[in-house]
This record gives sequence, structure tokens and C-alpha cells, in this order.
Amino acid sequence: MLLTRRNLMQTALTLGAMHAFPGLTWAQARPLVFATFTGSWEEAHKAVLVPAFRKANGNADMVLDPMLSVDQISKVKAAPGNPPIDVMLHDPGPALQAVAQGLVEPYPVEKSAHFKDLIPVAQDANGPAPFFQTVGLTYNPDTVKTPPTSWADLWRPEFKGKVGITNLNSTLGTGFLVEIAKMHGGSEANVEPGFAAIDKLKPNLAAVAANPGQLATLFQQGQIDISPGNFNAIQILKARGVPVEFVAPKEGAIAFKTTIHIVKNSPNRELAFKLIEAALSPEVQATLMDSPYLIVPTNSKVRMGGEIAKVLAKDQAELQRKFVFQDWAKINEQRAEWIQRFNRDIKI
Amino acid sequence: MARRRDLDQISFSVTMAGLALASLVLLAAPTVVVLVVSFTSGFSLRFPPPGYSLRWYAELLDAWQLHFAAMNSVSVALWSTGLSVVLGVAAALGIARSPKLSARVLDSLFLSPLVLPALAFGLSALMFFSLLGFPVSRTTLIIGHTVVCVPFVVRNTVAALAQLNPTLLEASASLGASRLYTFRRVTLPLIRPGIVAGGFIAFMASFDNVPVSLFLRDAATDMLPIRMWQDLEGKLDVTIAALSGVLIVLTVALMLVVERVAGLSKRLT
Amino acid sequence: MRTNLRDVTVYELRLAAPLAAFFAVFFVAPLLLLFVLSLQAAPDGGGYGVAQYVAFLGDAFSLGVLGSTLWLGVKVTALCLLLGYPVAWLHVRSPGWAKGVIMLVVLLPLLTSVVVRTFAWIVILGRQGIVNAALMDLGLIDTPLRMLYTEGGLVVALAQVQMPLMVLPLITALTRIDPNLADASAVLGAGHWRTFRKVTLPLSLPGIVAGCLLTYAAAITAFITQSLVGGGQMLFMPMYIYQQASTLQNWPFAAAISIIFLAAVLLVVWLFNLLGRLSRGYAQA
Repeated sequence: MLLTRRNLMQTALTLGAMHAFPGLTWAQARPLVFATFTGSWEEAHKAVLVPAFRKANGNADMVLDPMLSVDQISKVKAAPGNPPIDVMLHDPGPALQAVAQGLVEPYPVEKSAHFKDLIPVAQDANGPAPFFQTVGLTYNPDTVKTPPTSWADLWRPEFKGKVGITNLNSTLGTGFLVEIAKMHGGSEANVEPGFAAIDKLKPNLAAVAANPGQLATLFQQGQIDISPGNFNAIQILKARGVPVEFVAPKEGAIAFKTTIHIVKNSPNRELAFKLIEAALSPEVQATLMDSPYLIVPTNSKVRMGGEIAKVLAKDQAELQRKFVFQDWAKINEQRAEWIQRFNRDIKI
Repeated sequence: MARRRDLDQISFSVTMAGLALASLVLLAAPTVVVLVVSFTSGFSLRFPPPGYSLRWYAELLDAWQLHFAAMNSVSVALWSTGLSVVLGVAAALGIARSPKLSARVLDSLFLSPLVLPALAFGLSALMFFSLLGFPVSRTTLIIGHTVVCVPFVVRNTVAALAQLNPTLLEASASLGASRLYTFRRVTLPLIRPGIVAGGFIAFMASFDNVPVSLFLRDAATDMLPIRMWQDLEGKLDVTIAALSGVLIVLTVALMLVVERVAGLSKRLT
Repeated sequence: MRTNLRDVTVYELRLAAPLAAFFAVFFVAPLLLLFVLSLQAAPDGGGYGVAQYVAFLGDAFSLGVLGSTLWLGVKVTALCLLLGYPVAWLHVRSPGWAKGVIMLVVLLPLLTSVVVRTFAWIVILGRQGIVNAALMDLGLIDTPLRMLYTEGGLVVALAQVQMPLMVLPLITALTRIDPNLADASAVLGAGHWRTFRKVTLPLSLPGIVAGCLLTYAAAITAFITQSLVGGGQMLFMPMYIYQQASTLQNWPFAAAISIIFLAAVLLVVWLFNLLGRLSRGYAQA
């Protein structure tokens, strides 16, 4: 009796518990959950995408649960049979992982009205790309009189105690580390020089933010004056009058596509599809491209214009040419170790 | 000699009163700061604010994600307070005057969530429900909250029962009243303030709970403190200052009512 | 006849059964499960043993996190005691209306949401916050000091957030002290400082111990304040547990750290209780 009970316990634990409890599917009605990114993306999606989606779908219930891609993946992996998220948003690194681990549903391309209008690089059947992101330097023009021109400027002595970075859980953090490594002779496979450089950056560091959204708010708080930063993360703040500017370093700003995915086993599959359709639609993308969001569109019916054309690139072809695209398959091989190492070593 | 005594007294009183006043300022300052900042006209949490306006309170009216989380939090807090009062008062009656060792053991058990790290309990509850195949939901949140809130009800009810004069109960019984009648007409009215105070603290503890909600919530059962924390971490939203202002006013109002009804401050010391 | 005349002042222990059952299922069982899982060798099964504990105890980083958490609690508790004792002292000596005001000021932070309280500290300690603004206005500093995301800032914020837990038991203890004792001490020629050291302080020891226990337990588990005021790179046990469980999905290790943290807290509780018993004996002697 004791033995069988113990066996039962063991089996239950090994089967269910650790493989993160797929559990029995106690499916229950819940609103559509869209895990967007923190900060400006959440604001943009709350203001534009969600209303557009609800208007088109009879005011369907939905909530935003903003978090980093790596956290989205672990939440879904924890309960793959009954995922707490219906729609995931991923930068290239996590997107590769999510697909490889079978966490995403193939996008029903044949049903989609907008998929065929996307630029070719955005047409990914595992999850189309609704926008591109760019990473360069962000700074406070009130306190930094000469705009920075290079990643190396972050190490300048006058920025002692004024530099912000994020940890490596974000694409911004890892992408920055890789660029720094390359600057000092490293590569996607060897970030050792990058870690050495960040170690030297310590006296300048004022904060290590948990995510790009928080990094942007540190400008709003006057907590930092300069940081590697995401073009979109600062736009809403800038429109509100917070003194913050974006500049591409001379080594080249980083660009990457962000993909949107239906989570496998989502109980709200149909609504998830509808939400993604809304995100790909020319109307939503055109609105998001305008001030204050300035999000790079991927629908070929939306012409890049305004501030984006001025600061980033006048069209997708120029974007692809001008920006640095990193090898995320290579980066993924060691990223988990880097994250752990960074969290252990970088204390300010 | 007298001069030395004076010096001694003055130095002592000035030191103690000075430190006390400094601490009182320290205790009150954050609340005042939040209230002032919530009326800022600007976008940053600068103090003093560059100007004053009600714009963030107006923003609050449209903040549907916060409304959603607030409704969930209130509903979970009401359910867990109700459950805590029913289970906790019954348990307090059972153990309060019992001379048995098992009663004292149960007493320590029921109060243990007060000192144990609730985060560890939250994690264990998540593992437990996952193992049983229950996804997190409002029900799991209510159960988790009840575990960490019931001690407040038990503690306050036991304290109220301890102050109850047993002769009153004996008198009621000797006059022929049934146990139930005595309970309803004598015991309950006398311990009611204790129950109210305990229930109030339980409600606040649930409404403000982070460590248990952290593991047992998801986006569909969002809880207000978690939403606020994530909004603060993610975008330092000034709307949160306005929400804080509303919460502070509601808390003070509720606190004054409970102080009137149940003498809250006497029960906490 | 005698058997029918039950003691009417005692209710049946049976009344505690529903809560006992509730606790057995939803409190004790999960904690046992936590313990069982902490013995699992790897996230996907792989036998049982103490591998996770060995991994924690053999790792300088993890031990450092535990050590800094426990040490943080000590610093916060000490500051709370230093600042809280005079408040309790003043409360006991104040006239009625002032007692009410002091009580309101003490209770307010206890009942305001912890996120709100912590949020206030971001405003106070920030580079454009009150403290920096005041120091710059006074000409004491030229450039703002970095206080947010530092341990000093965190200790002060935690002390404010947890101080009511220290003050309330102290008020109880100080109220119970017979004022005649202090008078007697004064009559015998002892000065105020001496009376405080030799009479008041020892007699209030039970309150000090109770307050320290509550403050300590609350300070080391204050997840929100630790993460918002401490910032991304200051790691304490609660965040460590959360990261391992939530972001890394390393449940056995998260369970093991939780158990170690629980054990550390229990050890501290036990120590305080021991001190409490000694101090009560001392206070009564």
C-alpha cells in the first residue's frame, strides 16, 4: 500500500509536476490574454490595437499582460496544456526558441487577409512580424550637450553614475552585449570581450533596469542621462515633453523583427487569430507608425514616412541595408549562460 | 546638583522627543508625498511638482486594466474575508478557552502564516494546485488568500474571547438560556468588535497581498497590487500616483469607521 | 446529572475542525509538497536526493544572497528599533488627543497598500526627489546623490514601511510598565538616562523582542519594496525564489531555496522566542 502510494506520488511528480504540470485541461472561459512588452508597446497596443480589435470583434473581452519574451516562454512552458497566454510577442531570439519548443501554433496563412501584403521577411508562417524594432543610443539632450556618436561614448568619464543598461533578459540587453563584444574583437559566439567591457562600465552605471520599458522611465525620473536604448521605448515619453533623444551609433544601430504568435493549445484560438489580423492590418500599422508611437510597419501597403523616414530609414530596403542584424540562432546557443553570469557578476 | 539633574532631564527628553518627532515625520512623509505628487500637472514624479492639476485622476477613469484588476482584488478580498471570518471565528471559539494541548498546537498552526515567508507558501500553493490539475483561477486565489488572512481573524477573536468575563456566560446558563441563545445574545455581541477588527485587517491584508497573488494570479485574474507594481516597474505611470491617492483616502475612511465601531487601535496594541 | 452540566464557558474544540481541515489541505499539504519537490534532482525528474540543497549551500553566490537577505533584516530591524522606540515612548506619555494623532500616523502606513508606500520612496529618493532637491537647495551638494537602487535607500524605505510592526508591540509593553517604578527610581536619585537604561528599557524587553520579530520577518520577505527600491541588480531571497520559479522554471531549486529560507526564518523566530522568554523572566524578576 505504502509502496504503491509512493509510486503513485513519484509518477505524478515526474509526469506532471516537473514537466511543468501540463495538468488535466480544466478549460475555462477567460478573456483573450495578449502578452505584449512593457512600457511604450503596452501603451501603443492599449491605445490603438486593442480598440481596433474590440471594435471589429463585438467588444470581445481581452487583457494585456506585458512581460519580456523570455518570461512569456516560461509561463507557457509551465502549463503547455492550458497556457495562461493566448498571443505571444517575440523578438528573434525567443521566437526561435518558442518555435523549436513547440509552443506556437502555425499561423493560418490561408485564412489571413493581410499576410500576403507583408514584406517578404515579415511573412513567417510560425508567426508573422507586425513591426520592426531598432536599438541605438538614447540620451537626455538637456544634460548631454554633445550627442553621443558611438557605443564607446558610454564609457566616457563625464558619464560617471549616469549610464543605464538593462540586464540580458531583454533583446536590448543581449543585443548591446553582442555589439560591444564585436567592437572589442568578439562575436555572437564569443562575448567575453563584451563582459570585460561591461565590467569597466560599472563606475558609470546608475541603474540596471529590469526591462527596456523601465529603462525609458529612468529618463523620465532623471535617474540616468544616457543608455543603449530602443527607438520606440522613448517616443511616447518624448512626445510628452520628457527630454530624451535617439541616435544611431556610428558602428550601426541594431534592427530586428518582432513576431506575433498564437500559443499552442490556446482556448481562444479564433480570437487570437483576429487580434493578430488586426495587428497586421494597414489601418492599425499606419496609426502606430504615426506620432507618438513611431513603430516601423511591415505591411507593404503602409509607406514609411514622417519621423521614421527621417531618423531611421526611408523604406524597408534601406532599413535592411543600413542596420545591423544579429545572428540570434548563434546567440541563443549560449544566451542562458550569459544571463546567469550577468545577474551574478554585474552589481552596481 | 540640581543643574545636573536639569541637564539630565532636558537631554533625555529632548533626545527622545526629537527622535520620536523625526520618526513620525518619516512615517507620515511618504503618504503626504504621494498625495501631493498625484496632483502633478507634469509627467515625472518630481517633488514638488511643476504645477497642479487633476489630469491623472481623470486618466484613472479610463484606465480599464486598473479597473479590471481592482474589481478582481475587491472580489477576492471579500470572498477570503468572508471565508476567514466563518472559519476563523469558529476555530477561535473552539481553541480560545480550551485547556487541551491540541488547542494550543492548533493555535500556533493557525497563526503560523503570519511569520512564515508568504512567498514560499505562494510557490507551494501553485505547485499544489498544478499537481492536482487546477489552473490558477479566482478560486485558487481565494483559497491562498484565506490561508494568509485567517490568522488575523483568529488572533483578534481569541483576544476578544480572552477578555470575555466567564461569569456572564455562567449567569446566562443558570438562568436557563440554551448554549446557542447565550452565544447569540451574550458572547457574540461582546466579541463582535474583535471580529470586526480582525475581518477588517484580513480584508486589507488580502487586498494588499503580493506574495501569494504573485504565484496564483494570471492575466485573466489580475490583482491590483501586482498590476500597480508592474506598471511602476514598466513605465512609472503617474496614474498610479492618482490611484494611490484614491486608495489612501479610502483606507483612512475605512480605518476611521472601524476605529469607531471596533476600537481598532486598542486591538492592535 | 453532573455530566450534563458542562462548562458553559468552554466551546467544543470540534469547532476548530473546519479550519484545521482547511489548513491541512491548503497549507500543510502544499508545504509538504514543496519539501518533496525540493528533493528532486532535476527539473524533469531524475530521482530524489539532496542535490538542490548541495547546489545551494555549495554556491558562494546563493549563500551570498541568503546572507545579504538576513543581514538586510538586521539593519532594518535595528533602525526600526532606534526610531520606533521613541515614538512608543512619546505615545505613552502624551495626552489623549496626541495619542490619537500618533496612533493614526503609526497605523496609516500599516494599512496603506505596500505598493503605494514603496512608490512614495521612489519619489523621495530619486535623483529629482525631495532629499536631493533639499540638499541642492541648501547648497550641501552640487550633483544629486544616488540613493534609489542603493542598499542605504532600501534600508530606510523598509524601515518606514515596517515601523508600525515595531511600534505597536512597544506601545503595549510600555503601557504595562508601572509608572511608579520610574518615580521610585527618580526618588532614589537616578537620573533620567539611568532610569531609562536600568528600569524602562529592561521592563519593555518583551515588547522589543516581539517588535523585532515582526519587523525582521516582514523586512526580509518584502518582495515589492526590495525589488522597486533595491533595483534590478540587488538580489534577495524572495526575488531569487521568484526568478528561479517563474522565469527559469527551475522548480526543484526554487523549492529548495524556499525551504532553506523557511528554515532560516524559523530559526530566527525560535531565537526571538527564546529571547522573549528570557526577557519576560527578566522583566518580571
